[in-house]
Amino acid sequence: MKDLKHLIFFENLLQDAQNELVTQAVNDGKIALGYNCYYIPEVLLNLPGCFSTRLRAPRCESTDVATYYMTSRTCPYVRSILERAIEGGYNYLGALFGAENCAAMERMEEHFFLLNPVKNDHFFVTQIDPPMKGDKTNLEYYEGQLKLKVVDQLAKRYGIDVSDAAMREAIDKFNELCDVITEIGNFRKLPNPPITGYEFHVIQLVSEVCPHELILPYLKETLAEIKKRKPEPEFPFRARVVVAGSEIDDPEFTKLLETCGAMVVADRYCFGSFPSRERIEIQDGETAFDAICRHYLHWNQCARFMDGMKIDQRHDEVKRLVDEFHADGVVYENMKFCEFWSYEKVLASHILTEEMGVPCCTIEKEYALGSIGQLRTRFQAFVESLEIKKINS
Amino acid sequence: MNCPVTKFIDSKMQKFDPIWRAENGLGGQRSRYYDKTGVAKYREWRGVHDTLVDYGAWLKNLSAMVKMVASAPIPCLKGFWEYRWMGSYLGTFMFIDRLFEGYRGLELKIAHMHMYAIVQSLTKRIAYILSHDRRLGASEEKSSKLVPIDEVLPELFMTGFPDLYPVPLQTLPEFIICDIDQHIEPYYIDVAESFGLPADVCSRCAAETGVALDDAFPIVGKAVVTTNMPCNASEATSMFQRRRIGLPDYQATLAMIHNEPAALPFSRKVMEETIAFIEEHYDTKFNWKTFFKGAKRMNEQNQIELEKWDYFKTPYSPLVGIAETLYKLYEWQSVNGADPYYNKVDRKVIKIMRKAYKDKYEPFGGKTRHRAFLWGPSAVYYTDFPTWTQNCWGINIVLNMDSTMGHNMVNTEDPDIAMDDLTRLTEKACMRHMAVGGWDNVNSVWEWATNFNCDMVLMNDNIACKGMLGVHAMMEEQARDLGFHFIFIEHDLEDSRTVSRQDMRNCINQYMSVVLNEKPLDPTIVEFDDSAAY
Repeated sequence: MKDLKHLIFFENLLQDAQNELVTQAVNDGKIALGYNCYYIPEVLLNLPGCFSTRLRAPRCESTDVATYYMTSRTCPYVRSILERAIEGGYNYLGALFGAENCAAMERMEEHFFLLNPVKNDHFFVTQIDPPMKGDKTNLEYYEGQLKLKVVDQLAKRYGIDVSDAAMREAIDKFNELCDVITEIGNFRKLPNPPITGYEFHVIQLVSEVCPHELILPYLKETLAEIKKRKPEPEFPFRARVVVAGSEIDDPEFTKLLETCGAMVVADRYCFGSFPSRERIEIQDGETAFDAICRHYLHWNQCARFMDGMKIDQRHDEVKRLVDEFHADGVVYENMKFCEFWSYEKVLASHILTEEMGVPCCTIEKEYALGSIGQLRTRFQAFVESLEIKKINS
Repeated sequence: MNCPVTKFIDSKMQKFDPIWRAENGLGGQRSRYYDKTGVAKYREWRGVHDTLVDYGAWLKNLSAMVKMVASAPIPCLKGFWEYRWMGSYLGTFMFIDRLFEGYRGLELKIAHMHMYAIVQSLTKRIAYILSHDRRLGASEEKSSKLVPIDEVLPELFMTGFPDLYPVPLQTLPEFIICDIDQHIEPYYIDVAESFGLPADVCSRCAAETGVALDDAFPIVGKAVVTTNMPCNASEATSMFQRRRIGLPDYQATLAMIHNEPAALPFSRKVMEETIAFIEEHYDTKFNWKTFFKGAKRMNEQNQIELEKWDYFKTPYSPLVGIAETLYKLYEWQSVNGADPYYNKVDRKVIKIMRKAYKDKYEPFGGKTRHRAFLWGPSAVYYTDFPTWTQNCWGINIVLNMDSTMGHNMVNTEDPDIAMDDLTRLTEKACMRHMAVGGWDNVNSVWEWATNFNCDMVLMNDNIACKGMLGVHAMMEEQARDLGFHFIFIEHDLEDSRTVSRQDMRNCINQYMSVVLNEKPLDPTIVEFDDSAAY
């Protein structure tokens, strides 16, 4: 396929947390608001006057200082973020909105106020107590937490307009971005898609780390380009897989999988588009804020949800993606030391394989792509097994 | 003891006392044991009086065990046949012996009073649960009054259901048994890991998962209450347990950041829903009268506990180390106002403590050199670690993190206020009020250590506890700034293969000998192999 016009530009945007679009927005007077997790609604951080940027630590080669603070036995993603913060890589941030979603993440965010690594006088950190169930009681608590620790803080500290009208406007803009990403992603459903999993991963990532207003024109242009793009004469991969699990913000991971012959047709992991690019619909009688909270609690697929309804939803959602995107199997991954996904990976792969008839491969990974040799072997073996299954059937 | 006869015998027999032998360079505590094992060649000679106290307690515990088997002989026999963990309870006597090694006088007396309270309660519980276990042939109807509850959810609220019997689900097959036998949980951990669970998750939760996968939980009751307490892995393992047990479940997910005002209304609602869930599935009604009775007992326990704390702050407390920790953990977490026997014990113990303070009684013959606060989740497979620190280096563990669990009083007249109080008490359950829920909780150790006049903080470093690992350096820096002796004790909670008991001892040995340049009280227990012991 012909290279996408903006692919190299997008790839370059992913080389630094403070990329050129982030710098441009900050120079324009916008407040950069960092977050790590889907529990913090991206749309709330895109109210007028501010923009969201999901924290990554690209090109992180060493986490020595963060390892001193958090030991080598905690999640490498959070250590990489802390390391980057200590290096001064997030000095552009106006705030970090955290969540006590997992212990390692929570501890890392605490270091943002214990060590004050972000050199910005107005910088502050809040941490919500995110719900662990999807019922009404938990929804109310979630609303209360988001109001107290996100919305009210934005209004109080930065004078951001948090009115219903402002939120509706933010939702409209957010939906516009989601529609573009979803449309691009839906090409992956085709038997011979005009886009690769790697390219989509890059596109999805830039939409999460860059100011929406600045990245949207490029995304729209890319969508138009893909519509006209000629796919390869034949589907160039040997299998189609859904990737599910914890945090992946390095598109090289997707590239590795694809070089082993498996196209990533759906991305159900932290930083992926499932969930994150679903439209927010405001129902009759709802305020915009209510709709946002309901939406994020409903779509959240985090492995920390404990109630049966959400557990089943997690597995059903992966099965839905397998069916809709015509995948042959699922790769379940977890970041090393991620306790939630360590458990979920084992349980979900058992359920998917034994009860839903979907072949699964489970792997554990580092943040900076390491152990490539072992991963490649695992992926190649999985692709072969999928091929054999196809031949046998 | 002022009897001249016993005094005479003591003077003649003191050469058999391991403490005297250690002081005189003739051996010590470890000299009694066969190498590598926990098997002693002879019982510890503690003087006539204390040896009799110890032996009497041994007989009392034996009688509790006999009563257990006699009350349900067939279920107990079936239990031994069905459950691998059941056999480990045979190690109870050896377990108690090592817990109170070197204890004399009042500290020994109180320690055995506490231990017997646990043994008599636990044996009754085992017999009752096994005789209602559907895996062992009990009918659904027979087991329908039992309510399995995650063991870290305090059971005070269950006193409002006097016709129901709460069963702390993980206590028998996983938690208490690991206290007794360091070799039992690795089997269940292996079961979980052979199913695909990574080896870097908390070994306690891995063991719980293994118990579930191995079908080693007794099956009782009609519905189960799980919880998000205390940590990530515990929450995650609940997913396996609910699936394997296959009963309707309610997840009592109280607020994690529970120190904020917004948390209480939410957590209260969760408590109310928990109660409503039990009412619905067990077709019964919450009884405020019986709840208030239970709350009164709990309040008395907490009142006495707070008075005990005043004595802990002095050098004159005969309630020390593991005798305090284990009792408090069981009383608070598992009994939680349900058993009046514990109130009786508390009343007796506090009387002894008052008198000891008046008499300026110093435990361990005044050989304590350091007063330590033990913070972080402790190694379950090395329960007698605090006993060892005292016997070897004179480090008296004054209080353990788990003993600082919620001690607020619960209103016993107004249901509305009582529900708020119950919620507060429940939120501050085992490990939860310290290890998770924000920096302030974990950082409170310095205040605790200062208030209890400690010069040392021993920080349990569970190698898989992500919450505590995340504050490693911050804690070390705080200790340095505040001038505490601070030692990380690496352990793997329930897997003694990863970090052995000797590895744990070495953390202390190195600090005491290299940094403080001190000499051990008993050189036979500085380095020894007990890898084959229960």
